[in-house]
Amino acid sequence: MNGTIVLKMLLLVGALNTVSLASTADQLVVVVHKDNPINELTRSQLIDLYMGKYVAFPDGRRAQPIDIDNDSKLKEQFYLELVGMPLNRVNAYWSRVRFSGNARPPIQQGNQQAALQFLATTDSAITYIFASNITDDVKVVYQFDE
Amino acid sequence: MNKSGLLVRLAVVIGFASIAIGFLSTQLFYRLTVNQEVTIAHQSIESLYKTIEATAATAAYLAEQDLAQEVVDGLSTNGVVLNVSMIFEGSDTRLTANEHAFNSPVVFPIKSLFEPDKFVGQLLIEPNIEFIETRARQLAAENSKAMALQAMVVTFVAIFVASFLITRPMIKIARALHETTPGDGSRLVIPEFHDNSELGLLVRDVNKLLDKTEDQFNQERKLREEIEALEKRFRMLFENSLSPIILMEPSGNILLFNSAFGKTLDKLGLQLKKSYGSLLAELFDEPGQLDEVVKTAFENDEIATGEFKLKPHADNDSLWVQVVITSIVSDDMREYYQVTLHDISKRKRDLDLLAYQADFDKLTKLHNRQGLEKQLTTLMVPDNRFALVLIDLNKFKQVNDIYGHKAGDEILIFVADRIKKTIRPTDFGGRWGGDEFVLLLKDVDKVQTRQLVEQLVKRIAKPYYLPSFETNVVVGASCGVAFYPEHSNELQTLLHLADQAMYQAKEVKDSQPDQFLQFAPLPGNPECSHA
Repeated sequence: MNGTIVLKMLLLVGALNTVSLASTADQLVVVVHKDNPINELTRSQLIDLYMGKYVAFPDGRRAQPIDIDNDSKLKEQFYLELVGMPLNRVNAYWSRVRFSGNARPPIQQGNQQAALQFLATTDSAITYIFASNITDDVKVVYQFDE
Repeated sequence: MNKSGLLVRLAVVIGFASIAIGFLSTQLFYRLTVNQEVTIAHQSIESLYKTIEATAATAAYLAEQDLAQEVVDGLSTNGVVLNVSMIFEGSDTRLTANEHAFNSPVVFPIKSLFEPDKFVGQLLIEPNIEFIETRARQLAAENSKAMALQAMVVTFVAIFVASFLITRPMIKIARALHETTPGDGSRLVIPEFHDNSELGLLVRDVNKLLDKTEDQFNQERKLREEIEALEKRFRMLFENSLSPIILMEPSGNILLFNSAFGKTLDKLGLQLKKSYGSLLAELFDEPGQLDEVVKTAFENDEIATGEFKLKPHADNDSLWVQVVITSIVSDDMREYYQVTLHDISKRKRDLDLLAYQADFDKLTKLHNRQGLEKQLTTLMVPDNRFALVLIDLNKFKQVNDIYGHKAGDEILIFVADRIKKTIRPTDFGGRWGGDEFVLLLKDVDKVQTRQLVEQLVKRIAKPYYLPSFETNVVVGASCGVAFYPEHSNELQTLLHLADQAMYQAKEVKDSQPDQFLQFAPLPGNPECSHA
């Protein structure tokens, strides 16, 4: 569990950094259920999951991405950092895809807590949260370099 | 209309040129239009792609075949697009709109919507070249029509302008010049509006040329008239010359002769022909003489001249001419002879008559003393022999005294007649003076002389009837003979000896009438005188 310690220490440093640098914008991380064998995701893999291209993790297990709907700031920040698009364009994309294709957008959860609760009960779930909200039940598989 | 006329040529050239230029420019324009249309098509294809880029990217990203098919079909409905195809990255899926083959498609790589440096597929758009070309052709055709119309208008305008401004005035000038005869005084008219143009200059120059030509013609005409007049005079001089004038080559070929020469030929009974031998030899009695004279004269650079007798013909037996032959060398170094024949027959006859009168006795037509002396001189040459007989009439003085001079003359004529009848053709008889006669008998001896003289004296002694007195008279003759060269070869001595012999006979004419003939004594043989 050395990796976890290192990771935690890193997270701590990162948290400290974030706290010290900006109090408004927290560090965004992508987390999965702690039992999920996936330890790490690339940016492309993450895009493919969130933009509906794939519905499974790279190891073939089903994946269920979750959007944090009500915290529009978090969602906007996530998409800006992931694909460089504002939310309206992301929405436009989904409306086009929903109209003609088979791809499905991520499930909507009201806030980070709801998302974490859903994540705790669903092995295949994946969501994004501020690093400050990381719990022991989740595993960070991707973090945005600031 | 003249097929090679200026106007026709001009029209043909301009027509062909405009057709050629029209054809070429149409071709060029067509090519340009096609290229332009292709560019436009490519641009519109690009903008077409731009409009569906997001959709295409979505479809490719999600490998959404339905969406992709919609994009492909939608694009293919455009006129400039023949066929569209979409390929998803990392899969064999390929969607196409129809069956048309892709020959030179425009390829658009489809970028990922979310990762700009990642490609999610390709969109192939095959432009509808046929459509583009058809459109270009339509455009070109319309343009060609406009151009053809323009070319036609330009052609007609060009022809009209060229014809009105250049060709027609030129043709007019050419025709006028063609109908102009230099020297008739007519001049070309400067066409309208061409006072200061090259055509105007041309007409002025032509007129100047005509002026000059006319001047020359007039000068030439004047000169010709002068020459003609001069020639007429020369001809007059030549043709009216009484003397024959002949221009001939040294070989004898006659080049020119006047009418007087023709008349001379008539007199000689000769036909007109090209040559009478060198120096007209056939015309002369003794051509050799003329040859000699000419040769000598020409060697000394002199004019050959001499008097020669022409060949006798019919009653013209004594035609004499003075011949003058001048050698002329022409400019081209050829030699000619100018021959002039002056008729000197009359003068010759006069001279002959004078000579005759000088040498002959008018009464008896026998040689007179001068004539006899001339004959003696010619006879007294070595190897010649002759007898000199002196005859003196007896009783002539009485007849003369009784019946007068007229009767005496009759007797003398009678005696002369006897002499002529007695002597041989080679002998000479003559009247020495008064009633003395002389005979010159060639190549005779004493016997022959005696025989001839006796016969003569017998004839003289016959009675002669004087009609006016109706009576017969008888005269006798005493004769003395000396021989050349036996007695002497000197004329005076010979005459003296003959005279002495005759006196001897005279002395005995009454006592011994039969001794009427006496021979001069040979030197150292005095008896012979009485033989």
